[in-house]
Amino acid sequence: MKKIVGLLMSLVLLLGVFAGCSNTESSGEAKDGKKKADLKVWSFTDELKKPITKFEEKNGVTVELTIVPIADYPTKLKPVLESGVGAPDVFTGEIAFLKQWVNAGYWENLSEKPYNVDEIADNYVPYVFDLGKDQNGDVRALSWQTTPGGLFYKRSIAKEVLGTDDPTEIGEMLSSMDKVFEVSEKMKEKGYRMFPDEGSIRWFAQGDNPQPWVNEKDELKLTDEKIEFLDYAKELRENSYTALAPEWSPSWFEAMDKPIKVKEDGKETETEVFSYVLPTWGLHSVLKTNVKESNGDWAVTSGPSPYFWGGTWLGVYNKSENKELAYDFVKMMTQDDEFLTDWATETGDVLSYLPVTNKIKDDFSDEFLGGQNNYKFFLEQAKNIEPGIVTKYDQQLDTFYGNAVSEYVDGKKTKEAAIKEFYRKAQNAYPELKVPKN
Amino acid sequence: MKNLNRYGYFFIAPFWIIFLVFNIYPVALTFYYSFTNYSGSGVAEVVGLANYQRLLTDTFFVEAFFNTWKIWGINFALQIGIALILAAIFSDMRVKMKGLAFFRSIFYLPNLITVSSVALLFGILLDWQHGSLNIVLMNLGLISQPINWLNEPATAQLSVSLILTWMWFGHSFIVVMAGVSGISKDYYEAALIDGATRMQTFFHITLPLLKPILLYIMITSLIGGLQLFDLPMLLTDGIGSPDGSLNTMVLYLYNQAFKYNNYGYAAAVAYGLFIITIIFSAIVFKSMYRNERKQARQV
Repeated sequence: MKKIVGLLMSLVLLLGVFAGCSNTESSGEAKDGKKKADLKVWSFTDELKKPITKFEEKNGVTVELTIVPIADYPTKLKPVLESGVGAPDVFTGEIAFLKQWVNAGYWENLSEKPYNVDEIADNYVPYVFDLGKDQNGDVRALSWQTTPGGLFYKRSIAKEVLGTDDPTEIGEMLSSMDKVFEVSEKMKEKGYRMFPDEGSIRWFAQGDNPQPWVNEKDELKLTDEKIEFLDYAKELRENSYTALAPEWSPSWFEAMDKPIKVKEDGKETETEVFSYVLPTWGLHSVLKTNVKESNGDWAVTSGPSPYFWGGTWLGVYNKSENKELAYDFVKMMTQDDEFLTDWATETGDVLSYLPVTNKIKDDFSDEFLGGQNNYKFFLEQAKNIEPGIVTKYDQQLDTFYGNAVSEYVDGKKTKEAAIKEFYRKAQNAYPELKVPKN
Repeated sequence: MKNLNRYGYFFIAPFWIIFLVFNIYPVALTFYYSFTNYSGSGVAEVVGLANYQRLLTDTFFVEAFFNTWKIWGINFALQIGIALILAAIFSDMRVKMKGLAFFRSIFYLPNLITVSSVALLFGILLDWQHGSLNIVLMNLGLISQPINWLNEPATAQLSVSLILTWMWFGHSFIVVMAGVSGISKDYYEAALIDGATRMQTFFHITLPLLKPILLYIMITSLIGGLQLFDLPMLLTDGIGSPDGSLNTMVLYLYNQAFKYNNYGYAAAVAYGLFIITIIFSAIVFKSMYRNERKQARQV
């Protein structure tokens, strides 16, 4: 008897161990009697919630959405994709790690049968479609949106200082870096600040000749335009054209809606910020969510050079057992006329799918922007964006270079020392790169 | 006779299974990766000792080593200092301080807040233009220019040290108080009768008898300190800004693995850190052992 009890108890203990290892499918089934999801989707925002509900209704299936915050997303997703255990059928990728992922082979090749997406290439904004391709030119991921950037400014300040609030006219006044500095000086004379911080102009640092950070020969290239950016940033600081409110800091958000205090040279001045350099999503998820009083007083125009910032792509996991349904979801998100029209009118998201945008772009107007048709504006900007300058190194190299710029602007390092430090960091993070020795 | 002992193996099996799967296997796998150029996906090529060679000449790792020591050292000195002063006040027979239980929980509270909240809180307090700290200091006339605390290497490291002190002095205080209450009251009464001053009581009775406790705090704090990661990660941009001053060893390891995808090299960094931890733990244990022998001889 004792033996049996002993054996039973040790078995119970062992079971406890294995229970922890049991796969999620069985526990998923057990939960409130629901059957397991037909399709698993992973993403880093809740953006897909509504489309998924629609997809479920339309096809009579259940979809399980897993949201992982962006900071942990690549680290969490990678082991799952490597092992295939508990992996999603569809997953999204952000621009910061898109290049790495399209080449890693986790996403199904959509250029092959039965998908043949190359046939509909002309339906997309060129740079968006291009970014979803791997090194062999095969499409791995598609996107429903395009994220070109603009320069959002306050109409009331524009009228007072520049005599007009018309986006086209203001855009002409900002068509080169020299002109931007002219306007900044005018702003300063009237007690305003052109930008919240020096980093605001980094998107224009590419100039008219955008080049990738790393070329095909794995050489790190610091273009003259990027070096010039160091001087521009320093000039902004030295001439007090910025409000010393670093991006994403509390003061950066506060300055959108209210006058803020700037402390420099031992005195405190109250000022207002004229413009924010933000892309499409900046309007909906940054400005609109943080601005109350100046609602309707904003407008968007173009800066010295076109740029894009961010973007979400999605594709089918190549080891998925449910590729057909998975691709149906991708198709709905990226090619379904009816769904995309609803999506765009509901959220104001700027789409990359031209058959829909051509149909709806003329009827847009945004109350927040004083009735301006930002949709048409952004689509125009998207046309000018050069594809092929995105590399898998961008996110880190941008951070390193941003550090170099602020160290130079703060006067902690000379230009040469800041660039040298940038090279040192780049080489350390990516030993395979050929970094200039100087 | 039948051997009944084998049932024992069933009972210890759960521990061993968990230990092998979650401790031994990752540690062994990391050791293997440290000899490869594994990038997180695809195949891992064996590259021999290349990663360790790189580690020995890596200036970033050396910087990280000294940063970690600077930040931990200042924090430890302050933390122990504050804990001892408080312990001296609360244990003084003449003062008879009240509310020990109350203060003990108050001092311990910061330790209950998650580090990410602490980082967010201090990020706002230490803000250059609009932080409360600068506003208070400027209104008091102590400074004329706002100080960009998290943008200068020296002040950034000091900030992290002070935040760590604030978070951990309560913990040290509780441990020290436990040690103090273990000291027999007889010594203090005898000292009081002999007319010893407070200072003398503290330095000749309290401190020597607290030595084992202090050593314990030191070892646990050292091991925790060498793994300093969360605050430096969250307070600035996560790669050790300003000017690499908040780049600690574990932060460096994390960035090499998860940001730059050099998993192989990161594994070597992990083993480098492991060796460093062993060396310092050995030094501490050795000094403890020597002290014990010395004491034994005195007796």
